[in-house]
Amino acid sequence: MSQSNTVKDLGVEAIEKIADGKSKIMREIRKVIIGQDQVVEDVVTSFFAGGHCLITGVPGLAKTLLISSLGRAMDLKFRRVQFTPDLMPADITGTEILEEDSATRQRELKFRPGPIFTNILLADEINRTPPKTQAALLEAMQERQVTVSGRTYELDNPFFVLATQNPIEQEGTYPLPTVQQDRFMFHLLIDYLPKDQELEVVNQTTGARVEDIAVAMHGQELLEYQDIVRQTPVAEPILRYAVRLAGLSRPGGAEAPAFVKEFVSWGASIRASHYLVLGAKARAILDGRPHVSVRDVQSVAYAVLRHRIVTNFRAESQGIDTEEIIRRLLETVSPPKSGL
Amino acid sequence: MAQASGSDPKRAEEFDLPAVLDRVKTAGRQVLAELRKIIVGEDEPIDQVLSAMFAGGHCMIQGPPGTAKTILIASLAKVMNLEFKRIQFTPDLMPSDISGTEILEEDTSTGHRFVKFVKGPVFCNILMADEINRTPPKTQAALLEVMQEKQVTIGGKTYPLPLPHYVLATQISLEQEGTYPLPEAQQDRFMLSVAMNYLGEDDEVQVVRQSTSLSRVELKQVIEGDELLQFQQAVRRVTLPAELGRYIVDLVAASRPTVAGCPDFVREYIAWGAGLRASQNMALAAKSAAAQDGRDTVTADDIRKAIVPVLRHRIGLSFRAEVDRVTVEDVIRKLVESVSEPAVA
Repeated sequence: MSQSNTVKDLGVEAIEKIADGKSKIMREIRKVIIGQDQVVEDVVTSFFAGGHCLITGVPGLAKTLLISSLGRAMDLKFRRVQFTPDLMPADITGTEILEEDSATRQRELKFRPGPIFTNILLADEINRTPPKTQAALLEAMQERQVTVSGRTYELDNPFFVLATQNPIEQEGTYPLPTVQQDRFMFHLLIDYLPKDQELEVVNQTTGARVEDIAVAMHGQELLEYQDIVRQTPVAEPILRYAVRLAGLSRPGGAEAPAFVKEFVSWGASIRASHYLVLGAKARAILDGRPHVSVRDVQSVAYAVLRHRIVTNFRAESQGIDTEEIIRRLLETVSPPKSGL
Repeated sequence: MAQASGSDPKRAEEFDLPAVLDRVKTAGRQVLAELRKIIVGEDEPIDQVLSAMFAGGHCMIQGPPGTAKTILIASLAKVMNLEFKRIQFTPDLMPSDISGTEILEEDTSTGHRFVKFVKGPVFCNILMADEINRTPPKTQAALLEVMQEKQVTIGGKTYPLPLPHYVLATQISLEQEGTYPLPEAQQDRFMLSVAMNYLGEDDEVQVVRQSTSLSRVELKQVIEGDELLQFQQAVRRVTLPAELGRYIVDLVAASRPTVAGCPDFVREYIAWGAGLRASQNMALAAKSAAAQDGRDTVTADDIRKAIVPVLRHRIGLSFRAEVDRVTVEDVIRKLVESVSEPAVA
């Protein structure tokens, strides 16, 4: 098997180093963020897989702090853009300005890079901005470059977009179309903390001590680790399991289960299969395992499928949401026997 | 780029049809072979897009999200050495976001100000117009006008587009909110409507294995831009036998519910039928299919390949069809059955 050879070539050390690095990151983050372990772990997983995240949660759940802390722990540049109804594409990508050389009085156009030129971009409340501005962000995110007046500027590498959506104020928002949401690897939910953890936050944030976050991993190492993730072998039955999980969510499919035919209007695209597998690979490597198990696929299933399955009116009237559809899909698709 | 530069002035008169047709055939196979490296299980749509491009026509590409539409178009640009641009159509996109704008600039040496035209993304060889039905009609019309005239007029000045120029447009599903469906007359300007579908499970497994691994596929360029212009000329020189021309016209006319004596299912299921452009484009697509096969004469088989992609976006179904869950493809199949094919070899 040539595939297992490549992983041996990577060396057990590299994988151990990654798992170790991840524990360090988690430890640093826990200094400032209480609870939300799952979200932190999911975001780190997306970083190792090289994907972008959509995050839904009400304001005040420390999203900005969480992501900026991650940036610090991984030694990555961090920028935040508050999306507003009057934000323009150039406010994200950058503009050309006329500059005058004070010595020669010569004027020339100079490109001033926008906030997108960073490693981690927190696009806050992306659904408050009109579609053209959303499209500008998504295009740059996809192509990893910006073109202004015919000239192309490469974005930094690594580059991650974490876009938040506010679920409360639906008025005056421009919901991202399903097709655009599809470009995000994960869709994560951030919820209120349990009461005792909330108390802990209150105590910590009103106290005098300020925790400092140390660098646990360097951003440039991350590029190397992304390659290692992609080289992780996946057994055929597990690949097939991931593909079936996505495939059976499509109501038009011949094998679609009855509940999908009844409640789903849009199923998950092939990008879902892609990210189920890539996410599972990252999960395995972050756990220090050089092979992917069914549980790795299952552990990213909600985050990958949540924004890719659209339920219909009948589902809504019966109180069945996407989470429920994913739960039933996981029940329906039988995992390969050897995979657990 | 890729303007047909006069390398040999005599070429226009002495068009070596057999040689060019040979080249069309090999070029088509080379493109398919390259695209198969990254696109799995979509040979038929690739073939159809090629037949439109070799005939100089624009395409509508339909299919659920994630079916490699962008990859298909970007890869075609790469192997054909064409400049590729993509526009994401949104509700707030303006005509000038497509064609370009005039800006005031200052000459740094003289201090004079002058108006300069900054070309929009339509100035390219192959434009992907993504989700064209999310944009309001005025912006749609701007694209379609440019696409038809192959030039942009702004401030009284006309700027020709680079040739060849292709528009490949996608639409999001009409059931979704906030769409502005493209009027029939506008859809009619697209030569073919190509459908891409979800892959079979085995193909999807293969795609995912490849896409999540480290391996990167390198595409080779196999066609030059001005070769395509030559191909377009060759396609128009392919012969269409008279009885097959008549068959095309019969077939298209049979889709019109207003014509006396049309079949019952046509009156029942079709709200509006295909126009003259359907006949023209079916002839052209059939000629292109013949050329792709290296032949200088159209056969009934070539026409059969063209029927569905030519008619799909040109037939409007009635409400009754929707109730009975009859699709455009079903209706087209019935049409083909109802019109007798000419008995030629």
